[in-house]
Amino acid sequence: MRLQLLRIILPVALFAGLIWLWEWSVAYWEIKPFVLPPPSAILAVFETDGPSLLASAWTTLGTTLAAFVLAVISGILLATLFASSRIAEAALSPYAVTLQVTPVVAIAPLIIVWVGLDKAWLAVLILAWIVAFFPVLASATAGLKAVDPNLRDLFRLYHASFWQTFRRLMIPSSLPYLLSGIKTAGGLALVGAVVAEFAAASGNTNGLAWRILEAGNRLQIAKMFAALMLLALMGVILYALLSFIEWLLLHRWHGDRRNT
Amino acid sequence: MTHDLRLDRLAKTYPNGTAALQELSAEIEAGAFVSLLGPSGCGKSTVLRLIAGLELPSRGSVEWPRGRAALGFIFQEPTLMAWASAAKNVALPLELGGVAEADAGQRARAALDKVGLAGFADALPRELSGGMRMRVSIARALAAEPAVLLMDEPFAALDELTRGKLNDDLLGLWTERRFTGIFVTHSVFEAVYLSQRILILSGRPGHLVADIRNPAPYPREAGYRTSPAFNATARDILSVLEDVST
Ligand SMILES: Nc1ncnc2c1ncn2[C@@H]1O[C@H](COP(=O)(O)OP(=O)(O)O)[C@@H](O)[C@H]1O
Ligand SMILES: [Mg+2]
Repeated sequence: MRLQLLRIILPVALFAGLIWLWEWSVAYWEIKPFVLPPPSAILAVFETDGPSLLASAWTTLGTTLAAFVLAVISGILLATLFASSRIAEAALSPYAVTLQVTPVVAIAPLIIVWVGLDKAWLAVLILAWIVAFFPVLASATAGLKAVDPNLRDLFRLYHASFWQTFRRLMIPSSLPYLLSGIKTAGGLALVGAVVAEFAAASGNTNGLAWRILEAGNRLQIAKMFAALMLLALMGVILYALLSFIEWLLLHRWHGDRRNT
Repeated sequence: MTHDLRLDRLAKTYPNGTAALQELSAEIEAGAFVSLLGPSGCGKSTVLRLIAGLELPSRGSVEWPRGRAALGFIFQEPTLMAWASAAKNVALPLELGGVAEADAGQRARAALDKVGLAGFADALPRELSGGMRMRVSIARALAAEPAVLLMDEPFAALDELTRGKLNDDLLGLWTERRFTGIFVTHSVFEAVYLSQRILILSGRPGHLVADIRNPAPYPREAGYRTSPAFNATARDILSVLEDVST
């Protein structure tokens, strides 16, 4: 119990200490605010530019979540197709891998041209989806392949239908794999959304990345930091939420995975 | 016709070219407890999988003169769904067969009672010991009341004491249900103790080298395991196995 309390108190105390050290150093060394603004200046940004920053954060979050959901659905569907047809896997997986290993920054301009700058949000969504999709596909495929062959035989012995096997065997046994892929996909969807916003570099997207670019051009470094913090916060919350969902779904069945 | 199952010149070559079983012919009468004994790799599991219809024979056939019997299968590992309780695992064959969930659950609990796991219906597999998991697996195989129970070295991974106990329990269940038991093992002593008849397979690809009847009273009398009759049958089998391996 005391240990658990320490695990919360220590990081919080360390964080507060670092903030204080930051504030103090900027004042003491007289660092120019356009090099490193003090925490108080960053906080002040939220008073002046709060609404516009939050609106942008909202946009980026929306894109991230949409890309994430699309990635999860399409990843699972494709993995199911791969698991039920070797031919489909052999034919399609090279494309999935190629899409994965090509850096998204390099594909971005092409996608943006195709979709049109007036629909930059769609380009951003597609790019974020491309990035988030692969871990779902890979983990779901691995999970579906890891099904105990004896259990599979047992289902065959009792003449289980495809859907019975899918629902009662394939989904539960691949769930631990799938959820770890989904967790990765959540973080990557955010990364993908931000990278794509940068690549689009247009006010049309209106996301947090655009705010960072805009503030950078105007040397509003404190505003850059504020946007950056919002991004980090979003990433952390997303990850924590997905970890929690994973725990909810798995802690009873797969007790041995509780700590991973 | 008194037999339930006829293996007619059954042979299996796997798609990768491995010849697992050369030619096996045998008739197994209803209600018999038969062991398939032989060194590993001689095709014992293949025979069970062929009987279960999990593999198709390359040549020969599996025939059911009185119609295809309902089957139960016990694997070497308990092969339980890690995410489901003992009762849910046992209920699986019933639910797959269309029995309503509540009814299946009740029958599953009754089956768990039978194998001495009355208090563990809601336990997850990981909360059970190796022997208890195997009991769940037995309960699952018996829950749907199969006419033929196929067992593939079900106790090979257990310690000697647990194994002896489960052997006795299995005989108890047989006495009650009178299913046809086909039991794969590479333990001579287990085969002698459990079976009325022992089919010895050997070689690669496997083939039948002996068909030995065990005349001792069945189900077993107390003390059979240490009796001269037990030793005599075991010795016969060991000498057959030595002959084929030299
Ligand atoms: N699915 C399979 N594909 C190819 N070879 C197999 C397969 N299953 C078993 N074998 C091979 O067939 C032979 C007999 O196997 P098996 O029936 O499992 O023997 P046993 O159960 O007596 O140990 C072995 O050489 C094994 O490697
Ligand atoms: Mg085997």
